[in-house]
Amino acid sequence: MEAASVSHLEHDHHGPPEANKSSRVDPAMLGMLLFIISEIMVFGAFFTAYFFIRVVNTDSWPALGQEIPWAIAGINTLILISSSLTLHWALHSVKSGNRFAFKVGMLSTFLLGACFLFIQVNEYIHLGYSPTESAQGSIFYGLTGLHGAHVFIGLTLLLMVTVRAFRGHFSAEHHRGVEVPGIYWHFVDVMWVVVYATIYIL
Amino acid sequence: MVVVGVIASAIGIALGLWIDWFPAQASTQAKEIDTLWDVLIIASVPVFVLVMVVVGTAIIKFRQRPGEELKDGPPTHGNTRLEVIWTALPAIIIVGLVIYAWQVLETIDKKPSSEMVVVVTGQQFTWTFEYPQPGGKPVRTNQLYVPQGQSIEFKIKSVDVIHDFWVPAFRIKMDAVPGITGSYRITPTRTGDYAIVCAELCGLGHSTMRQTAHVLSRERFDAWMVAQQKGAAS
Amino acid sequence: MAAKLRAPGWYRAGAFTLLGIAFCFGLTTLIRALYSYDPLIDGYAITVVAMLGAPFFFLVGLGTFDYWFYWAAGRPTRAEDHSSHGAKSWRDYFKVNTDHKVIGIQYVCTSFFFMLVGGAMAMLIRAELAAPGAQFVNAQTYNGLFSVHASLLIFLFIIPVFAGLANYVLPLMIGAPDMAFPRLNALSFWMLPVAGTLMLLSFFAPGGSFATGWTAYAPLSTDAPLGQMMFTIGVQFAGASSIATALNFLVTIITMRAPGMSFWRMPLLVWANFSTSLLVVIATPFVAASQFFVLLDWALGFNFFNAARGGDVLMYQHVFWFYSHPAVYIMMLPGFGIVSEILSVKARKPIFGYRMMAFSLLAIVVLGFSVWAHHMFVSGMQAWIRVPMMITTAIIAIPTGIKIFSWLATLWRGVLKLDTPMLFALGFLTMFTLGGISGVMLAMIPVTIYVSDTYFIVAHIHYVLFGGSLFTIFAGVYYWFPKMTGRMYDERLGKIHFWLTFVGFNLTFGPMHVVGLQGMPRRVADYAEQFAGWNLFISMASFVLGASTLVFVWNMVASWRAGPKASSNPWRALTLEWQVSSPPPIFNFDAVPTVVGGPYEYGVPGAVHGIFNSPVEAKPAGSLVTRPTKE
Ligand code: HEA
Ligand code: HEA
Ligand code: CUA
Ligand SMILES: [Cu+2]
Repeated sequence: MEAASVSHLEHDHHGPPEANKSSRVDPAMLGMLLFIISEIMVFGAFFTAYFFIRVVNTDSWPALGQEIPWAIAGINTLILISSSLTLHWALHSVKSGNRFAFKVGMLSTFLLGACFLFIQVNEYIHLGYSPTESAQGSIFYGLTGLHGAHVFIGLTLLLMVTVRAFRGHFSAEHHRGVEVPGIYWHFVDVMWVVVYATIYIL
Repeated sequence: MVVVGVIASAIGIALGLWIDWFPAQASTQAKEIDTLWDVLIIASVPVFVLVMVVVGTAIIKFRQRPGEELKDGPPTHGNTRLEVIWTALPAIIIVGLVIYAWQVLETIDKKPSSEMVVVVTGQQFTWTFEYPQPGGKPVRTNQLYVPQGQSIEFKIKSVDVIHDFWVPAFRIKMDAVPGITGSYRITPTRTGDYAIVCAELCGLGHSTMRQTAHVLSRERFDAWMVAQQKGAAS
Repeated sequence: MAAKLRAPGWYRAGAFTLLGIAFCFGLTTLIRALYSYDPLIDGYAITVVAMLGAPFFFLVGLGTFDYWFYWAAGRPTRAEDHSSHGAKSWRDYFKVNTDHKVIGIQYVCTSFFFMLVGGAMAMLIRAELAAPGAQFVNAQTYNGLFSVHASLLIFLFIIPVFAGLANYVLPLMIGAPDMAFPRLNALSFWMLPVAGTLMLLSFFAPGGSFATGWTAYAPLSTDAPLGQMMFTIGVQFAGASSIATALNFLVTIITMRAPGMSFWRMPLLVWANFSTSLLVVIATPFVAASQFFVLLDWALGFNFFNAARGGDVLMYQHVFWFYSHPAVYIMMLPGFGIVSEILSVKARKPIFGYRMMAFSLLAIVVLGFSVWAHHMFVSGMQAWIRVPMMITTAIIAIPTGIKIFSWLATLWRGVLKLDTPMLFALGFLTMFTLGGISGVMLAMIPVTIYVSDTYFIVAHIHYVLFGGSLFTIFAGVYYWFPKMTGRMYDERLGKIHFWLTFVGFNLTFGPMHVVGLQGMPRRVADYAEQFAGWNLFISMASFVLGASTLVFVWNMVASWRAGPKASSNPWRALTLEWQVSSPPPIFNFDAVPTVVGGPYEYGVPGAVHGIFNSPVEAKPAGSLVTRPTKE
């Protein structure tokens, strides 16, 4: 078996030629946007399940004798939305070179997100019904849980950015590493508004 | 080439119509479906022959011959007329087929004036049949008996996983889905015994989930039913 | 030893896998303790959690995440020394490598391995079906055999092998030095062996392998034995791999084309993979979700598919087919791309109607999302959905027809070189047409109501997947073999392979149309006496088909080891991958080429597709080493 490429070993010391940039969009940003399309489709599939259980099967919502704590979740929604605002502020600060505001912004975003998750878990514990009782319960936990998992992923990304922020990374010129995870976090927030509207309000 | 194509299509269609593709035809619905099949054969054989003949001709006429190793073909990039034709022609065929198939679907689904209901319940790995009796306990059996010439609506249910109620001689099938009652109708046209086949993978016994449908003449069916009612009463 | 355990590689991967299993054991037991479940230690729960968790530990151990961990922690990332580029011996193919050419070969070899295993299962299926009654496997094993057969061939062969071929040639074709995200590319590849291993291991699970078909309909799958979870979870890994690769292709195609390579100058293989990737990114999450539902129902007692508690059984099928119908185009469009390349080069003519070829790909992508319920004509869904789905399904014949007829016109008056890649391409053209026509017949509801779930479907499946996809894969592997290995394959063996396959294929799957129409259901280990004759015939033919594959394997292995050296452009092709040495230099190009014309200008005097300046001319000396630093 011949090795794939030995003929040009003499060039080994330098890297590949710089790729031509055939589009103005940034590759990392484009990748993230495509990934978000995928994520929207995952939620789409869960909403399909929700649609079948609630609309096609015309089951009562929530299951008989159960209640969904829309008020607490509403407060939680506000918390999540404000985390989007702080994140925006953080990005704005790093762009204008204000490192301190950037760090504060990142930290508060992370804490607000974590707070959301904490309240969510508490809600589960005190809800009084389980996914095993009815299909309505299953999809309630399914959708909110799926979203919770995304919050967790988002928080992990935010944590990395925050750690790097405190280590002095990023600057007014180089902030793509903030922007790209940021888009994801905004997506998670918008998704929550949709989930909240369909599950709790409608 | 055109001649070869026409001849091959003619032979193909003749062959396709001559071959007896289907098992016994035992319902009015089967007749409709078998005719639709013949129409599909007539429509698709020429399409396939066309592709085969063009590829065959190209292989024979345009193959690279010794000495042509460095020769290129003419640089034709397209031809709008041709492209319109080969978009429009399949479109016309498709429209025709779809309209006809829709027609057939309406016909086989049509509800006649008098109808008899049989409730079919699938479970791993057997079928049970219920004949609702006006104002009485339904008659329940493990064998399907139906009268010739009578439109029958099967109401199909399942108690565990998905099965599929299919009598090949009647042509129609429908999944038995837990939580849903499906239905289809057939009118048997020939007396005799026909296989009932479970056509949806339902577990270990799927391939053995077979019973028999007995199509009886009206008189014999009535006699059978009376006997069943007596049996149910005693 | 300690150093070996610390450095990325198989030792660390093994250690981490053990660690992962231990971690999942601990986690499960801890959670059960918190909920005070009894018994505290539940083998099934631990196994399921470990199947989800341990693969990540394995991948971390292998080293697919190392760079990102450094980056995430804000530590200095190790400077890219390109030590993981290129492969110098066969051992390098067993390591995490970020070179798209190495990854391409890893993909192709791995997926052909699973093809042989899946094909061997088909041989067992046919041996069992050679006569009515039980031969040598019981119903459970039989159901497991065709389920694993189909799952391996779909999720671990057809889909990834296309990704592999494109991985190798696509960056070369568009003049890119690599894929956009090389490390993600490596991760995508390494998720495949994980998925395949899970599926194969299911044969050793208590209760046997998953046995609910590749469609895994609920509620059969939600109360199946443990083996079912190896399908459910395996599909998650295969799906994640496929999404990551698709994303990578899309970004690569959009942002890394060579100067002058406008969208209308891209080779059709690039167009095909662009379309396929769109399908993957949009559709694949649905199969992931459908398997999540099954997992939740199976493992945690959710009620998505429990009709008694308000669940909806048909919802599974809607979600599943919303992926799996587009998936059949995921398994076909890249093949369309391969065939376009080969037909044009081997007929020495430009592709006829290039733009319509690209548009029809996009049309198939769009239409492909609107036809899923044609797999549910007999499922008992709402009756009104059927006719709209029949119409959209039939319409797909039109863009596909445009492609078929344009290929025919490409052949017309060309100078056809009938070597192995071309033979397979022509075999595809005819056999796929047949499979497509039986597809149109299946779209006609009254006919489907009769033939659904019979061998007529099995015939359709294999005419489109074997006669369609696999023929294009064989064509592509022969066509790019010289580029990938630097050696020529044996033309005589190639032709023998083609004719054995072509004849064996038709004798095996052609008669399946007939037995299907006569009423033989699919997915049965045993059948009525009346089908015995044809089935024996089919089984005999299938062994010929199996044997033909051995000719292929022999040709590939022997030629790779000792075939004659290949020149850089043995087919006199214009596309960029043929303008570099065989195999290509380690970074593909010394300098990125400039594209000045269409990719298929055969017969146009003096036509060129791309021009190559030597690096010295193209850029001031030394400019290659200095890469602008970017965030
Ligand atoms: C590569 C994979 C592939 C491809 C490309 C296709 C292509 C098509 N398939 Fe197929 N299909 C499968 C793989 C594929 N299929 C599989 C795996 C299953 C079974 C799943 C399971 O249950 O396990 C299945 C099942 C399946 C069913 C469900 C059957 C059932 O279970 O009841 C239907 C029904 O409509 C269908 C239809 C079609 C149609 C209309 C096309 C069209 O796209 C075909 C279009 C092509 C042509 C028509 C030929 C070229 C065109 C011309 C030459 C123009 C002129 C033609 C005419 C005018 C007719 N397929
Ligand atoms: C790309 C996809 C693909 C391919 C290539 C094949 C290839 C083959 N398939 Fe498969 N098949 C499917 C996809 C595919 N199949 C699908 C999706 C189903 C539906 C499953 C379901 O119902 O859920 C199916 C179902 C299916 C059935 C129906 C089972 C049933 O419903 O009960 C049958 C029966 O004959 C069959 C046969 C074959 C045969 C004989 C081949 C032959 O072409 C195989 C040829 C053999 C080889 C290529 C290997 C030869 C190699 C060796 C002998 C050496 C072995 C070496 C090592 C192990 C190292 N297939
Ligand atoms: Cu019941 Cu198959
Ligand atoms: Cu389909």
